[in-house]
Amino acid sequence: MHPILGRIDRLAMYLAVWLSVCALVAGVFTQFGLSWAEALALLVPLFLVYAFVCLSAWYVSRATPLTAGGASRVLASSILAAAFASGVWLALTRGWIAVLSLTAAFAPAAERYEQQQPFMFAIGVLLFLLSLAVHYVLLAFETAREAERRQLELEILTRDAELRALRAQIDPHFLYNSLNSISALTGSDAPGARRMCLLLGDFLRQTLDVSARQRIPLADELAMAERYLHIEQVRFGSRLRVERRLDDDASRCLVPPLLLQPLVENAVTHGIARMLEGGLIRLDASRTNGRLAIVIENPCDAEPGSVAARAGGMGLDNVRNRLEAMFGREARMDTRTEAGLFRVELELPCA
Amino acid sequence: MRLRVAIVDDEDLARVVVREYLTAMPDVDIVAECANGFEAVKAVSELQPDLLLLDVQMPKLNGFEVLELVGRDVAVVFITAYDQYAIRAFEVHAVDYLLKPFAADRLAAALDRVRERLGRGDTLPIQELAAAGQPAQGHTRRILVRDGPRVHVLPVEKIEYVQAQDDYVCFRCEGKEYLKEQTLGALEALLDPARFVRIHRSFLLNLDRLSRVELDERENRVAVLTDGKRLPISRTGHTRLNELLGK
Repeated sequence: MHPILGRIDRLAMYLAVWLSVCALVAGVFTQFGLSWAEALALLVPLFLVYAFVCLSAWYVSRATPLTAGGASRVLASSILAAAFASGVWLALTRGWIAVLSLTAAFAPAAERYEQQQPFMFAIGVLLFLLSLAVHYVLLAFETAREAERRQLELEILTRDAELRALRAQIDPHFLYNSLNSISALTGSDAPGARRMCLLLGDFLRQTLDVSARQRIPLADELAMAERYLHIEQVRFGSRLRVERRLDDDASRCLVPPLLLQPLVENAVTHGIARMLEGGLIRLDASRTNGRLAIVIENPCDAEPGSVAARAGGMGLDNVRNRLEAMFGREARMDTRTEAGLFRVELELPCA
Repeated sequence: MRLRVAIVDDEDLARVVVREYLTAMPDVDIVAECANGFEAVKAVSELQPDLLLLDVQMPKLNGFEVLELVGRDVAVVFITAYDQYAIRAFEVHAVDYLLKPFAADRLAAALDRVRERLGRGDTLPIQELAAAGQPAQGHTRRILVRDGPRVHVLPVEKIEYVQAQDDYVCFRCEGKEYLKEQTLGALEALLDPARFVRIHRSFLLNLDRLSRVELDERENRVAVLTDGKRLPISRTGHTRLNELLGK
């Protein structure tokens, strides 16, 4: 989108500046023996047309951005473009004078103008360069704003993940069911009740701690996920089984905190909890060639009419968006459902 | 009045605490402990308890679906950890429910109210609550039919047609017939209108199973199904059919 053409208020201001420069030049022309009326009749239409020609400076500024080391290239392309634009400007002037000369009143003025061609050319070059400078400023402005927007977006996504994690701790379902388990254990298995309280306390504390950090080792993230699964295992008993494989190499990789937590929760609430017999959640992390690969797999309800497939979209979207905001194309996330198994695969750089 | 109670919850520990509370109460017999909805339907059919203590969130068959299947035969008190949607439905229909974790005296109070209700012969608004168990948007994707202790789950795409029979509807599905106490109108409202069309006062047809429309010897329209079976089409039924087929 052109920064001036695209906005009516900016375009109006731009043309106003051009018209004031036009009045200035007309003033100079009166010194060359043209009357004010003749000068304005000659210059106003030309300036208005040339104003639009100079908007093309936008494309020049975009094609040769102001980067360190490229000064000579920028200078060369600017001068070349300015000379070319000014050539167009001269041709336009000649055409317009030819038209004006058809009126008897203007014919003498046309002759007097003839000597001012170098001056006109210089003005054309200067105006174009001026316009180019304005466009460079606008471009820098826009780049800065874009960077700011991206940064903000990233912050919002991170904040969102933190909020989700905070909610997970106090996810009413998770919390009330855990409390109910404790209530049940109190009567029959007091040490078990205490163990459950400790697990819950540890998990809540851990989520609070890591959400304040930028990056944590994968080992920590997985430890948290396992604690969560432990708590759910008390609830689901033999219905929830967990298998985990973590390479030593992979465990030291740094990942955004709470990246896996929504995925593990999905595996329980949309996988295990919907199966009569429960099943196995498999976590697998490995590192090859500087890239970290994580797989989370859980059984899912394959029966038609089940809601497993479409549920949990929110959590998955958040993880995908966070990966993209942080790593761009360097990271990817795939999900697929196959033969009653739901599988999420993450791949991200691990320096 | 002595209450015969069945506990239905998919979590072992959740059943443990309810059992512990009930054991300490006088005039209560625990006749069954069920780990899922199918077991609950079986227990109701075979053991005829007075009351189900029924968890809402369970795999395959949730509490609302169990209610739909057995609600006429037994009193129900729902139990849930947290489900705003379910709780709203309970409030709207003045249904008794308990929130996990709950204290023994809460359960005792709920049992007292059940005794009162049973004395008056009240039953729950089954159809209304069953609707609360449906997904918030979209249409029913499976039909549950109870056959004594057994539950049949019919995916809607496998249903060929449905025929009204007095107070029942009869589903024709993979060569078998299943009876369910429901009106055809109520059923029609639950199904996807782009798939199921009321071709006749007594017939709801799955469009996928329609092969062609013919005229019989008395100039009546007849729907011929992919398996050759013929169903009558009424005049309004024909209009609906044409609208759906874009004619």
